[in-house]
Amino acid sequence: MTAAANRPQALYLHVPFCRTICYYCDFCHEVYRRETALAWLQAVKNQLEGTEIGPLKTIYIGGGTPTSLDPDLLDELLGLLDPYRRDTEEYTIEINPETLTDEKAELLRKHGVNRASLGFQTADETLLQELNRHHTPQDVEQAAACLRSHDIDNISLDLMYSLPGQTMASLQDSVHRALEIRPDHLSLYSLTVEPDTVFGRRGIEPLDEDTEADMYEWICRTLPAYGYEQYEISNFARCGRESRHNLVYWHYEDFIGISCGASGKEGNVRYDMPARLSAYLADPLARDELALSEEDMMFEMIMMGLRLKNGISEADFSRRFGIDLHDIYGEVISRMTARGLLTDDGGRLACTEAGFPLLNSVLVEFLPETENTLAPAAGEW
Amino acid sequence: MDQKNIRNFCIIAHIDHGKSTLADRILEMTDTVQQRDMKAQLLDDMDLERERGITIKLNAVQLSYHARDGKDYLFNLIDTPGHVDFAYEVSRSLAACEGAVLVVDATQGVQAQTLANTYLALDNDLEIIPVINKIDMNNAQPDVVKAEIENIIGLDCTGAPLISARTGLNVEQVLEKIVTDIPAPSGDPEAPLQALVFDSFYDPYRGVIALVRIRQGEIHVGDRIRFMATGAEYEITEAGIRNPKEVPVQTLGCGDVGWFAASIKSIRDVQVGDTVTLAARPAGAPLEGYRKLNPMVYCGLYPSDAKRYEDLHEALDKLQLNDASLQYEPETSQALGFGFRCGFLGLLHMDVVQERLEREYNLDLIATAPSVIYHVYLTDGTMIEIDNPARMPEASRILRVEEPYVKAELMVPDTYIGAVMDLCQNKRGIYKEMQVIDAGRNMLTYELPLSEIIFDFFDRLKSCSKGYASLDYELIGYRKEDLVRMDILLNGEPVDALSVIIHRSEAYARGSEITIRLKELIPKQQFEIPVQAAIGGKVIARTNIKSLRKNVLAKCHGGDISRKKKLLEKQKDGKKRMKAVGSVVIPQEAFMAVLSMDDDSRRK
Repeated sequence: MTAAANRPQALYLHVPFCRTICYYCDFCHEVYRRETALAWLQAVKNQLEGTEIGPLKTIYIGGGTPTSLDPDLLDELLGLLDPYRRDTEEYTIEINPETLTDEKAELLRKHGVNRASLGFQTADETLLQELNRHHTPQDVEQAAACLRSHDIDNISLDLMYSLPGQTMASLQDSVHRALEIRPDHLSLYSLTVEPDTVFGRRGIEPLDEDTEADMYEWICRTLPAYGYEQYEISNFARCGRESRHNLVYWHYEDFIGISCGASGKEGNVRYDMPARLSAYLADPLARDELALSEEDMMFEMIMMGLRLKNGISEADFSRRFGIDLHDIYGEVISRMTARGLLTDDGGRLACTEAGFPLLNSVLVEFLPETENTLAPAAGEW
Repeated sequence: MDQKNIRNFCIIAHIDHGKSTLADRILEMTDTVQQRDMKAQLLDDMDLERERGITIKLNAVQLSYHARDGKDYLFNLIDTPGHVDFAYEVSRSLAACEGAVLVVDATQGVQAQTLANTYLALDNDLEIIPVINKIDMNNAQPDVVKAEIENIIGLDCTGAPLISARTGLNVEQVLEKIVTDIPAPSGDPEAPLQALVFDSFYDPYRGVIALVRIRQGEIHVGDRIRFMATGAEYEITEAGIRNPKEVPVQTLGCGDVGWFAASIKSIRDVQVGDTVTLAARPAGAPLEGYRKLNPMVYCGLYPSDAKRYEDLHEALDKLQLNDASLQYEPETSQALGFGFRCGFLGLLHMDVVQERLEREYNLDLIATAPSVIYHVYLTDGTMIEIDNPARMPEASRILRVEEPYVKAELMVPDTYIGAVMDLCQNKRGIYKEMQVIDAGRNMLTYELPLSEIIFDFFDRLKSCSKGYASLDYELIGYRKEDLVRMDILLNGEPVDALSVIIHRSEAYARGSEITIRLKELIPKQQFEIPVQAAIGGKVIARTNIKSLRKNVLAKCHGGDISRKKKLLEKQKDGKKRMKAVGSVVIPQEAFMAVLSMDDDSRRK
């Protein structure tokens, strides 16, 4: 059945609740209340029932804080996804260390979750407080141990750098403390101050570009030495432990988005679920759809694919669009390779080490020329 | 109308002293304009004039006034621009009058242009009626200002009307004074025609319209006339007055002020200050005072979107129809592409033209720093005029360079004398004299290079005197100076649009300032960019724009595509507004960097 075969094999589900709000976060979130969560679960159920979902290769439950749900609600949520996970290879859930209990870990195992993404952020407890994170590095370590004892042994840690007031020494200490947990996967994100966050409203500024770049260079140099290969701008993994779900995004493949704040892509349609919980509760099947042009999709494939160390398969590109990558982007590619920011051999187009930190400025070159929108000149003729 | 009941006058004032407002009131009170047609400052009919509160092009209006003596009078009111750039146009409109109403602001008193315009009026033997305006303001000091006018200018202010042009208070007194004090026009209707051209504008249907004052003789529709300076001959197709709408007439009589059309296609044939006479019966000599107007300030104007070069060309063509003093010719800049080198009467004129191009023709322009005309004497014995620094020949071919100097008169209150003198010294000024005008005020005279005046002088003068000093200047000729061309190199490549001609003694300081400023203005790029200032290949200042080190989205998952793509599109748009010179992308402000040093000096 072709229709089923073409259905997305990845699903993202957004849990919009948190016990506390991190100051840098602009994802869809609200403070957890049981009654709201109950209504939300009903909406998720309705959306899942109203959506055609085939067998899934990857499932990712993010947030918010999925583990902020009470155990019975978490159980119910995971139960809703059980019908789709027969073929699931990677089933990830995001976890805030302080909301994990033995009971919840057992629930996760029972429902087939096999990967956990833990928020470590930093080992500096003063910085953790400034981020409004309510855990210690030890909490993360204990959470990892707890998960492993329940056979969830694919552990990823999230770290942040370029935090206000953070020094290189502090970052190095954090990375070493994180490595002691022996994770399978590490994500290191530099702080982006989004306007609609506590940091944004407080006018907090990230560190200067030079310090940030120094930190990034150190990270990219150090982690491989410990066996973590950089496979994406901000992601490092032990061999075979790359995030398959996130690779779906970077390979620009299709995925389903469930719940408010989620997005999905199916063929040439990309959609956003309502950003607000209230709107989602009112109509869990309403979504904002955007039809993509061929040109949009070509660019987006490049925008996502160049984030990967091994870049874009040129064969994949021509298979998808029926045209050679160089016929469209030949000029930009030769300019950027000449500048040492891209490499273009072995049938793959990828960033060089120098190109990675400058990817935005490279991508801007790939954007199509927009038409001149100026009104015609005034005057009577 | 009997010649002895005609009164030709203008209103002169320092900028913002209320000239156009008074004109509006006069129009209203003579019932020339119905209240419902009244827009504030009716004579300033370009949007820009009304907005900036300045008069750029002159206008002449005929009004009828029933005076207290029971007789009807015909007033021809000629509006004049108030800015120093348009001094010649002011002088020609004065020459069309017998009298002038001198408006002085009761809160500000006599200013530099009050004096300059009054002297122009006296040169033209005009009867001057002093009027004190804005007496309804709280800080009005009519008695002090009257005393000032008497002491400084030597005009008797007994009985000078104390008015508020805004409210109309005592404006009638002004009208009566015009009747009693300003003489009727003299001139012989039978003599050969002498008509003074004091303005012109282009009408797409009728060609150039000339505004004239008939000194001798008469003009009839059907007459064949000759412009004495240009020699061009035409047949008059239409004549008339404005009130302020056009009213056609068959004859413009001796003493009249009016307009005529003659299917004139080129505004170059109709020069302000020229004399019109009859081809069949020419006058023996033209009227005095004709001078060809030459631009004093040049700059390059380029469309920021290269595709709009032709639009810019058309816009300039159209603007020039109404503004004979605007000159332009195509030029090519390696940095900015195709554009025009444009000549202006002064800085205000340049500003006004730029603004009209952007506003009325919807163009987005890049202007290079303004330049004066340098006289460059070459070793082969020839002299060339250089108005674009990029065209300056190599030093080895140059014998000497001369630059235009002006005599600048600055009206300065005591408190700011030191600051203004410092400014003039810094601008290579040569002190000539200081006259005490009255208690607290002085007239400073300096000789200054014109290039220094066009380079942020007004702004600096305003800021160092808190707005109290005023300036008037006139060209006094060319002088030899040690002038050199300084080039700016980005990534080793000279950027022609950034070259400047400067005095050698200032080169090092200006070179450092410009390179630092460019470093601030040019965003970091994918590679390091050396910024250098050089004279004849010798680098005198250098800095580096470090390469961009990190410009990447930390996180980009499935849900982020739309938002992150928008972010990239925004970066792209930002880049589109810049110019690529070689591999370096330069924002438009950078091309004005050589101009905006004053910001820096203020910051220091």
